[in-house]
Amino acid sequence: MKKVGLLVLTLVLAIGIVSLGETITLNFMQVLTSPQRTAWWEQVIKDFEALNPNIKINLISPPYEQADNKLTTMLMGKQPLDIIEVRDYTIKQLVDNGWLTNLTPYIATWSASKTLIPLAWQAAKTVNNTPYMIPQSFFVKALFVRTDILAKYGINPNDLKTWQDVLDACQKLYNPSKNQYGWDNRGRNSPFIFPDTLATSFVENANPDNLYILPNGQTIFTSPQYKAGWEMYIKLFKTSPQDSINWGFDSQVNSFVSGVTPILMQDPDTVGLLNTMLDKDQYTVVPLPVGPTGKAYPNYGFNGLGIVSYSQHKEAAWKFIAYVSSPEVNAWFNKNYGPLPISSVTYENDPYFSTGVYSAWAYMMKHPEKYIFSNYPFNSPKWPGWPSIQQADMQSLLLGNISLDAVLAKWNNYWSSK
Amino acid sequence: MSRNLKLFIMVLPTIILLVIFTYIPIGQEIQIAFENYNLYNLSNIYFNGFDNFIDIFTSVDFNFAQIVLNTVIWVVVSLAFQFTLGFGLALLLKKPFKGRGIYSGLVFYPWAVSGFAIGLVWAWIFNGQFGLINGILMRLGIINQGIGFLSDPHFALASVIVVNIWYGIPFFAIMLLAALQSVPEELYEAAKIDGAGRFRRLVNVTIPYIRPTIASTILLRTMWILNFPDIIYAMTNGGPANSTNTLANYMIIKMYSFYNYGQAAAIGFIIMSILMIYAIIYLSIFSRLERGII
Amino acid sequence: MKKLKIFLRSLLKFMALGGYLIFALIPLYWVLITSFKGPKELYTFPITFWPKSLDIENYKFLFSFANFGIYFRNSLLVSLGASFGALIVSVLSGYGLSRIGFKKLSNGLLLAMYLTQMIPGFLLMLPLFLMLSKFGMINNLFVLGIIYIDMVIAFGTIMSKGFFDRIPVSLEEAALIDGCGTLEVLYRIVLPVSLPAIMAIFSFFFVNIWNELFLAVMFLSSNDKMTIPAALNSFISKAGISWGVMSAGLVVALLPTIIVFAFAQKYIIAGLTEGAVKE
Repeated sequence: MKKVGLLVLTLVLAIGIVSLGETITLNFMQVLTSPQRTAWWEQVIKDFEALNPNIKINLISPPYEQADNKLTTMLMGKQPLDIIEVRDYTIKQLVDNGWLTNLTPYIATWSASKTLIPLAWQAAKTVNNTPYMIPQSFFVKALFVRTDILAKYGINPNDLKTWQDVLDACQKLYNPSKNQYGWDNRGRNSPFIFPDTLATSFVENANPDNLYILPNGQTIFTSPQYKAGWEMYIKLFKTSPQDSINWGFDSQVNSFVSGVTPILMQDPDTVGLLNTMLDKDQYTVVPLPVGPTGKAYPNYGFNGLGIVSYSQHKEAAWKFIAYVSSPEVNAWFNKNYGPLPISSVTYENDPYFSTGVYSAWAYMMKHPEKYIFSNYPFNSPKWPGWPSIQQADMQSLLLGNISLDAVLAKWNNYWSSK
Repeated sequence: MSRNLKLFIMVLPTIILLVIFTYIPIGQEIQIAFENYNLYNLSNIYFNGFDNFIDIFTSVDFNFAQIVLNTVIWVVVSLAFQFTLGFGLALLLKKPFKGRGIYSGLVFYPWAVSGFAIGLVWAWIFNGQFGLINGILMRLGIINQGIGFLSDPHFALASVIVVNIWYGIPFFAIMLLAALQSVPEELYEAAKIDGAGRFRRLVNVTIPYIRPTIASTILLRTMWILNFPDIIYAMTNGGPANSTNTLANYMIIKMYSFYNYGQAAAIGFIIMSILMIYAIIYLSIFSRLERGII
Repeated sequence: MKKLKIFLRSLLKFMALGGYLIFALIPLYWVLITSFKGPKELYTFPITFWPKSLDIENYKFLFSFANFGIYFRNSLLVSLGASFGALIVSVLSGYGLSRIGFKKLSNGLLLAMYLTQMIPGFLLMLPLFLMLSKFGMINNLFVLGIIYIDMVIAFGTIMSKGFFDRIPVSLEEAALIDGCGTLEVLYRIVLPVSLPAIMAIFSFFFVNIWNELFLAVMFLSSNDKMTIPAALNSFISKAGISWGVMSAGLVVALLPTIIVFAFAQKYIIAGLTEGAVKE
């Protein structure tokens, strides 16, 4: 009888302990998926779960190309999701549909918030000036250069300081009979950022909050300087293979690695891919060239983590976000992944992000008078579809089917109409 | 229970499945085509009459007439070659020869490649700079600079059609091959005795006998080609400068780039209406043929 | 003269068969050699037509990557299960439509089958998802299998009806008079003579379901439920396409479909119906 009583007691106790320490399962969906990135997330999750035994993270990793669509659909269907990856392209949609939680009260109690770089705050508060997410990585374009090929032509990559320098170099390289071209053009899958990065650097008073609308209220497409920038981009395109009208990211990398076009503007996450295909002495990265203004308006792409508005476990979800946003974990993740980290501590203490190819980005971060980080009007109702419209028009322009003036007038019309 | 009732019960599972998983969604889809349904602002969904259609027809960014023309060329040319070449392959495979099993496995495999991969792989093969085709042509000394198969508006539509043909031949070959097996040998014998040559036998015996299969495969394939955006979306996105943009591809652009589900559904509705009219005309012509009216 | 004619004809046939084969094999050749290339050899110019060394790293990575074995099993399970299910459902309805006494009803239902093929399937995904999510039927391989059955049965019904129409009813009438049931007639008399068509339809089902990507990605979330096309698609990321591994995956993913083709075509081209169908 005693034995039975003891047994019952242990059972009750056991159940009690289990229910006290009830495990919470959080569903976390990434959208910038790749097999490697999934493995890094799994590593982070494992470490987090070891520190927080009562929280389990269920990682959902849909293929990159379908991810945004799946995320929207799952949120519409109120599927169990707690933490979601938010990016510059999607944050407006996610906020406007009421799917993200305002993180202000959580940030108030978070000590590491002081270490966030200004760009991180800017990104976090993209919509309604309210932090709906904590950024994790930044994608800023810089110039990738094939040192081995440029050396043959006596060009020093470090001399490529302005877009005029780049054009001169590309024209010097250009020799189609030897299949040597210069500029690595992008023709499709959101190509706007390539000519716009160049053309905006010609504009004296571009508006960093909205690159397409000038401070005087007119669109940038009316600016003669912007037009001059485009004229230079067309010259730059002439040093790229004609076929680049149809090139997406993959063709750009193919062309750069095979040496056909040794000058490429790309994001820092390209570094990891290039390191598997090229030796370290074959290429380098230099800061983004500036325009005649001596300035450039690089766009900062970003991604971050937010909490779903209907999540039942917001406290636990925040715990995870705070963990991965800590300077150490964030630095570790970005070292693997490639883009730039979010914490000033990392930039100050970790030589990784200020040496080697990353010195290009470190230089840009340290010179805010030259590099004014800017945003496209992602918030505008005109934005959805714009990349497709711009792509078709840009292709017509590069094919010579339509004049630059006509295209700029069309774009001005698009952006100034209601 | 009457035999007809039993036969109807046999059809019932199909009807039930289609109603639940296809017809109800189609109904909602048609409703969305007449709504302002923007994935950017789901709190503001409302009936907007024909606005979606008007926007599509009058867009200055995407010339609707050109898209329709591209679509017609895309469907007609792809279908004509898929069918002729597929039928030809079926006829070639009808008579046994050594290695026929392995051979047909190898020519049929295109049908078995994942849709998303077809466009990707072919886009690389057709690349104007470092694609396989240009590589071979250069190696043979035929050209010394790459041809922009996908970047030159003169070649782009033709190039994506070639890929579609490549993909669609096996479907016709397999279905028609199966149908060819059902043609009774006696009919050929009789035709031979009448002194009919190979071509006559094909026209007078084979084709009439397998006509129902031909009719249904062509009709289905027309629908699938019109509805199938994967190849174009992956190879050109509809470019350069809209030269390969078709209705199905445009629909994807409206959905993935514009987040405008209402307009995407409207394009889907247009596609469905075109196919509906086409199917009714097509089926009535074929049923007249069957009854010997034409 | 006659010999020359026969020779020319075989030569022509040989060339035609060769032409088909070359056209069909171009991409396979490219995928195959890409799958054996290391990352440094992938993007060379001028392009290399043969890998310098046969590098099997991509295949090794593929099988070490996450749960490729599980994905393979999931795909096989759902493809075989749904294909068999769809075959039964659509053979029944094809036969029913072919033999039912009311022509108008049969034609109307046939048109209704065609109707399902007229709308771009991927538009239906959102309404379907929202409907099924209300019933908690998301992230379930069995439900996905049912959706796949629904995806192919209209085609199966149309095709099998077409084939059954060609089989003379006289054969069945005798059996019916002998007291056979409707199902028994179908099973004993109609199916054996339509085996080529059945196998063609089955291989079509299998291939379509095996390759289906969008529904699988939308309706499945857990990693351990993923299917092969979703796994292959995930080699495309913001930072490029992992061509080497993806090519290896494509090659591996082709194997089951080629096996199904090889198995099915034995029946398709065996000419089982020879002499069996007589008016």
